[in-house]
Amino acid sequence: MKKTLFTQIEGGKGFYALLATLAAVILIGMFAVYQMEHNGHWITGMNNQIVWGMPHIFAIFLIVAASGALNVASIGSVFSKKIYKPLAPLSALLAIALLIGGLAILVLDLGRPDRLIIAMTYYNFKSIFAWNIILYNGFIALVAVYLWTMMEKRMNRYTTIAGYAAFIWRLILTTGTGSIFGFLVAREGYDAAIMAPMFILMSFSFGLAFFMLVLMKTYKWTGRPLGDVILRRLKNLLAIFVAGVLYFVVTMYITNLYATEHHGVVSFILRDGGIYPILMWGGYLLLGTLIPLALLFHPATAMCRKAMTAASWLVILGGFSLLYVIIIGGQAYPLNLFPGYEVISSFEGDVGSGFYAYTPTLNEILLGFAGIAIALAMTAVAVNALRFLPESLADEEVDPHAKG
Amino acid sequence: MKPLFKLLKALMAGLVLMISAPAFAGGLGPDIPAPVKGDECVADTQEMRVNHMKYLKGHRDDVLRRGIRNKTYHLSECLECHVPAREEASQPTRADNEHFCMSCHAFTGVKVDCFSCHATMPEKSAAFHPIVTPAMQTLREVHQPPSAQLLNELAARGARDE
Amino acid sequence: MSDASLNNTSKTDLGRREFIGNGAKLAAGVSLAPGVMLYGVAHARPADQAVTDDVRWGMLIDTNKCAKGCDACVTGCQQENGWGPQSGNETKSNEYQAAQWIRKVDLRNTSTGSVHSLPMLCQHCEHPPCVDVCPTGASMKRADGIVLVDKHICIGCRYCMMACPYKARSFIHEPIVNPRTHAPRGMGTVESCTLCVHKLDAGEGTTACAEACNSAGHQAILVGDLKDPNSEIAKKVASVATTQVRADLGLNTGVRYRGI
Repeated sequence: MKKTLFTQIEGGKGFYALLATLAAVILIGMFAVYQMEHNGHWITGMNNQIVWGMPHIFAIFLIVAASGALNVASIGSVFSKKIYKPLAPLSALLAIALLIGGLAILVLDLGRPDRLIIAMTYYNFKSIFAWNIILYNGFIALVAVYLWTMMEKRMNRYTTIAGYAAFIWRLILTTGTGSIFGFLVAREGYDAAIMAPMFILMSFSFGLAFFMLVLMKTYKWTGRPLGDVILRRLKNLLAIFVAGVLYFVVTMYITNLYATEHHGVVSFILRDGGIYPILMWGGYLLLGTLIPLALLFHPATAMCRKAMTAASWLVILGGFSLLYVIIIGGQAYPLNLFPGYEVISSFEGDVGSGFYAYTPTLNEILLGFAGIAIALAMTAVAVNALRFLPESLADEEVDPHAKG
Repeated sequence: MKPLFKLLKALMAGLVLMISAPAFAGGLGPDIPAPVKGDECVADTQEMRVNHMKYLKGHRDDVLRRGIRNKTYHLSECLECHVPAREEASQPTRADNEHFCMSCHAFTGVKVDCFSCHATMPEKSAAFHPIVTPAMQTLREVHQPPSAQLLNELAARGARDE
Repeated sequence: MSDASLNNTSKTDLGRREFIGNGAKLAAGVSLAPGVMLYGVAHARPADQAVTDDVRWGMLIDTNKCAKGCDACVTGCQQENGWGPQSGNETKSNEYQAAQWIRKVDLRNTSTGSVHSLPMLCQHCEHPPCVDVCPTGASMKRADGIVLVDKHICIGCRYCMMACPYKARSFIHEPIVNPRTHAPRGMGTVESCTLCVHKLDAGEGTTACAEACNSAGHQAILVGDLKDPNSEIAKKVASVATTQVRADLGLNTGVRYRGI
C-alpha cells in the first residue's frame, strides 16, 4: 500500500466565501444570544414546563454526532481496518469541532453564561451533568493527543494506544450524555435505561452522516478524487447504524408499552401528541430512516453520490426529529403527581388533559445554527492550515487490490 | 508559580496606585457617598476597602449553607448604613453611580455580581443601628433584644449560676 | 453571654449583637410568656451556630381544611418573598414563565368523585433529585432539611427543573428589580420555596404561607420540627395518616399531606 499524502486545502475564493458565510451565521447567532441574555429567557419559547428547548436539541445533536464522527478513526486505529486510516485525521478533527460547537450552544443558553468559570470550578460529583463536563473536556484533550500521534511522524507508534483511549472515552461520553435523560426518574418519557445504549447508536449514525457530508463536499469543492471503494464502505456502515438506531427506538417503545403505567406517554408520543407523532412517524421513521435505508441499499441508487448525500441529510433530519420528540416530548407530557386523581384546576396546570405547548422562537434556532457554523468554521480553518486531508482518495490509492 | 503570581499581583497593585494616585489627588476619584447612619464600620476603612469581598464571600456560604446568621458581614447590614432606604426620597439604583458600592466599582471597573440578585437598598429605614452611639445604647437597654437572643442569654446565665 | 455583653460596644461582639430595628419582630419576642420562653430556650439557635441535623423542618398540609378557591398561602408567599404580580416584576414572562414558588391545585378522585384542594410547593425531600443532578452544587440541602438554591453558584442550566418530580422550581426569565432584602432573586437563576428559611432562622418557627392560612381562618398548614417529639407536627404525623406526594419515589419529603 502506498503512503498516503496529506495536504492542506487551498484557500481560494470559494474557501473565503464559505468562511464568510459561516462567520455571518455565527454573528447572527451571537446577536440572538445577546437578545436572550440581555432580555432574559422570556423572549424564547422555553418556560418552567419546557425548560430545555431548541438550543438543547442542537447542542445534544452536535455532542452526540461528535463522538460518532470519531468512529471512522476508531475503525482504522482500534479495529485495524487500513482502508479507513486516511480518513482518521478528518474524523478526529470533526469530533473536536462538533463537540465544541455543541458545548458553545449549551453554554450560551445558560441563564448565567458569565458564570462558566463556576461550572469549571465547582463540581457536584453526584451529578451526571458534572461528570459530563469532565468527559467533554477530557474528550477534547484526548482526541487532540490522538490527532497529534497521527500527524506527527515520531508519535505514530502511539496512534493505536491513543485511538483505543479515545474510543473507550467516547463510549463513556455518549453513555453519559444519554444518562442525562435516563436518570430523570420522575419523567415518564425519559426514565429508561435503554437511553444510554440508544444514544451510542444515535451517535454512530448521526456522526457518520455528518462525516460523509463533510467528506463528499470537501472533496468535491477542492476537486480531489474520492473513489467508490471508500464511499461504499461508509454508506454500508451508515445503513447499519441507521438500522441499529431503529432497533433501539422500537425496543424502547415496545418495552414501555409492556408496562400499563407507560401507556399514556407512549400513546402521547406515537398517536395523540400532535407534533410529536408527526415528527416520530414522518420525520424520524419515514424521512430519517426508511427512505435513507432504501436510498443506501436500492441497486438503482446505492452507488449514486447524490443519493448518498440525500441519505446523509435525511439521517440528520431524522436525528433532529427524534431528539425533538425525546427532549421536548418528554417534557410536554405532564407529570402524574397524584395517581388516582385528576387535576381539575391549577395555576400552573399539572392538568392531565392539557399537554404543555412549546413553540420555538427564532432566537433559539439561530443560536443552534451558530453552533453548527462554529463546528464547520473550525473544521474549515483547520483543514486549510494543517495537513488533514489525503491528496487523493481514489480507489487505487485507497485500496490497490480493489476491483473498482 | 505562586511567588510569580504574587509578584505579578504586587506589580499590578503598584501600577493601579500609580495611575490612580494622581486621579485621587486631583479630586477625580470616585465620589463615594457618605454613610447614611452609624459611627463606625465593622473593620477599619482601609481593611474594608481591601478585603470586604472576602468577608462577604465567606459570610454568604455561612448564611446560606450553614444557617449562621450573625450580622457582622451581612450584606444587608452593610447597605443598612451605607445606602438610604427605598422609602426615602433619593434612592440610588444599582445602575446609579451614587450607590455606595457602585460608585467605587464603576470607577475601578470591577464587576460586582451581588446585585444581580440582592436588593440594592434597605426596604425601610431602621430606627437604630447595630453599631450604636452611647446615647443609642441607653435607648437599646430600654428596648429589649429579640426573644431568641434574650432566651439564649437567659439560658447561658442560668447555666453559669448553677 | 453575660450582662457585660449587653453593654459592650466593642467590635468583637458585633456578631452576637442583635439589630434593634425591625421593631415588629421584637414585640413578638417580648410578649412571650415564661412557660413559652422555656420551650424557646430548647429550640432557639444562637445566630453564630450552624444548623444541625438534630432538626428536620417539615410541613403538614391538611387538605380537609384547605379551602377550594382560597389562595391566601400563595399571596402570603408572594408578599413575603417578593414574587407574583404584586411585586411588579416578571411583567413580560407568560404564565408558564413567571415564578411559582407555591401553587394551588384542585383534585378530583377519579373513582369516588371527591374533590380536594391543596397547595403544591417544594417538598423539601430528604433525598432531593434536584440536589443530585445539579452540576455545581448550587442546589443544596441544609442540615436541617431545607432544600435551597445557592444563587451565588447557580449557572441557570435548569437540570434541577428537569429532575424535580413536583415541578416546584421556576427559572427567572427576565431582570428583577427591588427584590426583598431577605429573598434575593435574579434573572438567569432557578428558585423555589425556601420554607421561609429567614423566618425559621430568626426563630419564628413558621412560614408566610402558614401564617396567611391561619389569618384566613383555615389552619391547614402546620410547620415544625419533625424530629422533636414534642412539636405539634411530630405529634400529628405520629397519630394521623399522612401522605407523601409520589411516595413511590422514596424521596422522604418534608412536606406531608393529610386527606388525600
